[in-house]
Parts: sequence; C-alpha cells; structure tokens
Amino acid sequence: MATLRLNGIHKRYPNGITALHGIDLSVADGELIVVVGPSGCGKSTLLRTVAGLESISDGELMINEQRVNALEPAERDIAMVFQNYALYPHMSVFDNMAYALKNRGTPKDEIRRRVTDTARLLDLAELLDRRPRHLSGGQRQRVAMGRAIVREPQVFLFDEPLSNLDAKLRVQMRLEIRRLQKRLGITSVYVTHDQVEAMTLADRLVVMNGGHVEQCGTPMMLYAQPATRFVASFLGSPAMNFLPVTAHRDGVVLPNGVEVALPDMLSEGRAATLGIRPEHLVEATSMADAAAVLDVTVEMLEPLGADTLAYTRLPGLEEWLVVRLDGAHAAREGQRLSLAFAVAHCHVFDSQGARVPLAEPETQACQ
Amino acid sequence: MAPQLGIVLVFFFWPALQAIEQAFYVEDAFGLSREFAGLANFEAVLSDATYYQALGTTLVFSLAVALGAMSIALLLAVMADRVIRGARVYRTLLVWPYAVAPAVAGVLWLFLFDPTLGLISSLLGNVGIDWDHKLNGAQALALVIMASVWKQMSYNFVFFLAALQALPKSLLEAAAIDRAGPWRRFWTIIFPLLSPTSFFLLVMNSVYAFFETFGTIDTVTSGGPGGATTTLVYKVYQDGFVGQDMGSSAAQSVLLMALVGGLTWFQFRYVERKVQY
Repeated sequence: MATLRLNGIHKRYPNGITALHGIDLSVADGELIVVVGPSGCGKSTLLRTVAGLESISDGELMINEQRVNALEPAERDIAMVFQNYALYPHMSVFDNMAYALKNRGTPKDEIRRRVTDTARLLDLAELLDRRPRHLSGGQRQRVAMGRAIVREPQVFLFDEPLSNLDAKLRVQMRLEIRRLQKRLGITSVYVTHDQVEAMTLADRLVVMNGGHVEQCGTPMMLYAQPATRFVASFLGSPAMNFLPVTAHRDGVVLPNGVEVALPDMLSEGRAATLGIRPEHLVEATSMADAAAVLDVTVEMLEPLGADTLAYTRLPGLEEWLVVRLDGAHAAREGQRLSLAFAVAHCHVFDSQGARVPLAEPETQACQ
Repeated sequence: MAPQLGIVLVFFFWPALQAIEQAFYVEDAFGLSREFAGLANFEAVLSDATYYQALGTTLVFSLAVALGAMSIALLLAVMADRVIRGARVYRTLLVWPYAVAPAVAGVLWLFLFDPTLGLISSLLGNVGIDWDHKLNGAQALALVIMASVWKQMSYNFVFFLAALQALPKSLLEAAAIDRAGPWRRFWTIIFPLLSPTSFFLLVMNSVYAFFETFGTIDTVTSGGPGGATTTLVYKVYQDGFVGQDMGSSAAQSVLLMALVGGLTWFQFRYVERKVQY
C-alpha cells in the first residue's frame, strides 16, 4: 500500500522547453487521481516522470515518503498501462503477463498461479495462449490491465488507456477500471483528455493547463466551483457559456444593457466574464428569484433524446448561448425564449481568468 | 510489369539458360566449335579435389562473412540508435563503406595488411604476429573475410538501424517498467522483434558472400595462396575466363545456382519458422 507525493516537480527539456512548472500533488493510499487537460498540457509528461521514463529537472517525487527521483523505472515498483497497450507482440498473453514476474525471479508455480488468478479476474482465462495480434481491441486493453495488476505494484499509472477503444467499449472498460481499482485498492494516477472519463473515475481530479495545475479537488467541487475560466470551460459538455460583462454597483451588466444582480465583489467598471452552464438556464416562468432574465432567439436545435441543446443568441451579443432543454420541449428554430438563472449558478471570472468568489470561501485540495 | 520482366529475361534468364546449355558441351579454346558432352563436365567437376576445397572455403567464408557482417552491424546499429547528439554524422559515416567499390575496398585492405608496406601488418609484427597473407592461407582467408565483412556491414547497418527505430518506444518502456535490465531487454524484446530483418539479411548476406565477393577476392588475393581463398564463384571465373574451360565453368555455375537455391529454400523452410512477425 502506498502514498505518492510530488513536491514542486519541474521538467525542462534540453531545448529550453519547460513542460512542467512545479507540480505539487499528493495521492493518498488507494486513491484514484485523474489528471485531465488538453493535449500538450504536460499531463503525459507528468505521468512519465512519475514512472521514471523522464528525468525530473527539479523537485521531489516520493513514494511512501521515500525519495525516488534517482531510481530506475524498474526500482519504483509501479505498473503502467500505455495508450497503445505496448503488449509484447511476440509473446502469448500468458508470457506478456508473466514477463515482469519472471524478471523478478518469481518461482514458476507462483507465476502460474498469479497469472491464472488475474486472468480469471479479467475474463482472460480462455485467451492465455493467444498472441496479442489475435485479440480484439478490448481484449488487448484487458491484457494490458492484467499485466499491470499481476505485479501487485505500489502505484498504477494509466496513460489514456481507453482512447483507442470505441465509445461503447470505453464506457464498459471505464466501469471495469473503477471496479478493479476499488477492489484492489491500489493507489492510481490516471491521465486522460476525456472529461467524462475524468469526472466519472476520479476520487480527485487534477486539471492541468500549460504545465501548471489549474485546480485540484473532487469532480463535483471542480464542476460547481471552477477556480479558473479554463477549468470552467474544460469540464462539462456542452461547455459553460461565457458572456463579457462589466462590473456594476449591484452586480454586472451585459453589453446589451441587461443587469445581473450579484453580490458586490468587483470594483465598478472592471471587465469580467460571466459563466453560466447550459443546464442552469431555465425558462423564466419557472423561476421566482432569478438573477436576471435574458430574452433570446433560438437559432439551432440539437436533439439528443433525453435533452435538446438549443443554440440561442442574445440580441447585441456575438456569443452563442447554449441551453439544455428537456427532450420533450417543443422549441422551434426562430422561436423566442425568456431564460432565467439563479445567483448560485453564476460564475464570475476576472480579466485574468481567475474566479471571483461570490459568497462562500473556497478550499484548495492539492496537498 | 513488361519492362521489368524484359530486363529480368534478358539479363537473368537468358544468361542462366545459356550457362545451363553450355554445361553440357565441351568447347575448344577459341570458341570456334563445340561438342555435346552429356554429363562429362559435371563428372569432371565433382571428381576434382580442388572443387571440394573451394566448396569448403566457400562455406567457411560465407558463414564467417554473414555472421560477422550481421553481428557487427547489429552492435553498431544498437549503439547508433542510442546516440542523440550528432546521430546523423555517425550514421552517414557508418554507411559510407557501402558506397566504396569492392575493388577499391579490396585495395584499401590490401595496403593496410601488405606484408612489407602495411600499417596493420607492421603493428601485428610488433606484437609478434608474423603477417603474410601472400604465403599463409589462413591469414589470406581471414583478410578477405575482414574486407567482405567491412563492405557488407553498412548494408546490414542501415536495415538494422531502420528496424530498431521502427520498434515502438513504448514496448521498451513497458519492459523497463517490467524490471528488465538493458541486457535482458535486448535479448527478450529487441532481438526477437528484429527477427524479420535478421532473416531477410541472412538471406541477402548469404547471397552476397556466395556471389558478390568476387571483386574483393580478386583484388586482395586472386584466390591464393594455393587456392586458399578460391571460393566457388571465384573458381567459376578462373576456370572459365582464365583457364578457358567454358564447359566446366558453366557446369560449376549451374551447381552454384543449385547450391544457393537450395540454401535459400532451407532458410525459408527452417529458419523462417523462428521469425516473429
């Protein structure tokens, strides 16, 4: 059982590019941390420095409070599931899973027992003699998982393990990974660019951007109180609506003059951004204490079944305003709607993109 | 297709058929008349002790050249693959020998090992090795092997390096995480995954050693001393173009074609099974 701690991890390449600007993170025993961000944000580099595949330029990496910066990947007792699975193509499924144990000099009968047990756990028992090229994508993915599990490592690392699967299999494997991780209780770091995967799997979520941690916390906390405009736009699908506003005595004002009543928080006249999630815009008739009412025109509809996404425009504004309507809603393109939203659902970001707290003090939870 | 087939017909099948036809005739020294001889040419060749000597020399020579050229090339490719700074310079330099004509390569080695003028033979003399490949058959064979290996190594190097660079990096990373040290990684992951390339090179190197080393042997030793470096292909040339015995030479080339054909069949039949695709 293990804990993992990153203290100010920097990664600088010889060509001068800095991929990680001081990452602080601590992972509790048995916890599943998901690191999420757009491509190039440094999340894979972070995982590779933890694995020992990339050297650490500065900072400390601790496993069980032991500094492991200088240890080879083999000595860190970690297991990694690669995006392309990295199964050894010339070995059978059994040999793929047994490879690490053989390298460690585990007795033959113990190898057999552990591989067979893991294969049963992952429903691979019938496939042990096959070569990877004779397996389907989902089976390969399970073998890659099995190869990691059979070693009983201190830490599991997942590098976008589901991104090569089709949508249906991805949902299935997502549940499977969650189930196995809870059952085995192994400390895990999971990297993905898929925000649905991130939200559903994580005990805690780390959102990265440009080599920095933007925010860290439980998925619901990040969803409800995004610390930056970047986090707000990254989590949630469809993305949060952002409207340019100017601070005002009793709140903020939209460019078309509509006032939004908010608690006093910015000095008057400053530019800011108001963020509202599509599901938090409701028809004005069904809300009593709205922060503001917006009269919009529906320009496009995307029926998804359970919901319908309405792409609407506010007169005088460039930005789309996306609204999540009930699937049974009888909206038509060209129709006018009156939309309302509550103060509690307003997110205000200053011109640097940082969240402006409206009422409650908020907590950070990376360390 | 047609132009390629035309070229193959004119430059391969036609001469090959001519050689087969010639093998059954005895020709006078001026090429003015010939006489059907049945299998007499083959009988003469197969009862000639020097033919068996050449066969033995060829087998030792080919095995040494193929294994030497492949193992050195693999070693160099593995090392070049690890180089990051100045990688292109190393690679270009390692490929150069392939661009050197066999005769030029031969002369180069001839000078280095010349018993009276040679730099290396003089150094060898200092450590008590009396080098004279003009008198010592084993040394002569070693010299042509070295020259041929040096020449072929670049070709193998290019293929091995390309194959190494095509290996998915994540496989080696996975192996590193799976507690395999560099040595074990090489023998359990890299080497098996290179086997298609190694097999292809084994076939190509055998063919090279059997046929294409003629120029090197001719410039370095001319088959001597005392036939110690006369390989089958060199004997074909000597008996046919120096000795003017076209019938025997043709019979020998037919046997050589059959031998290399058989060897290649054997390689595909038995060695290819070990290849991991």
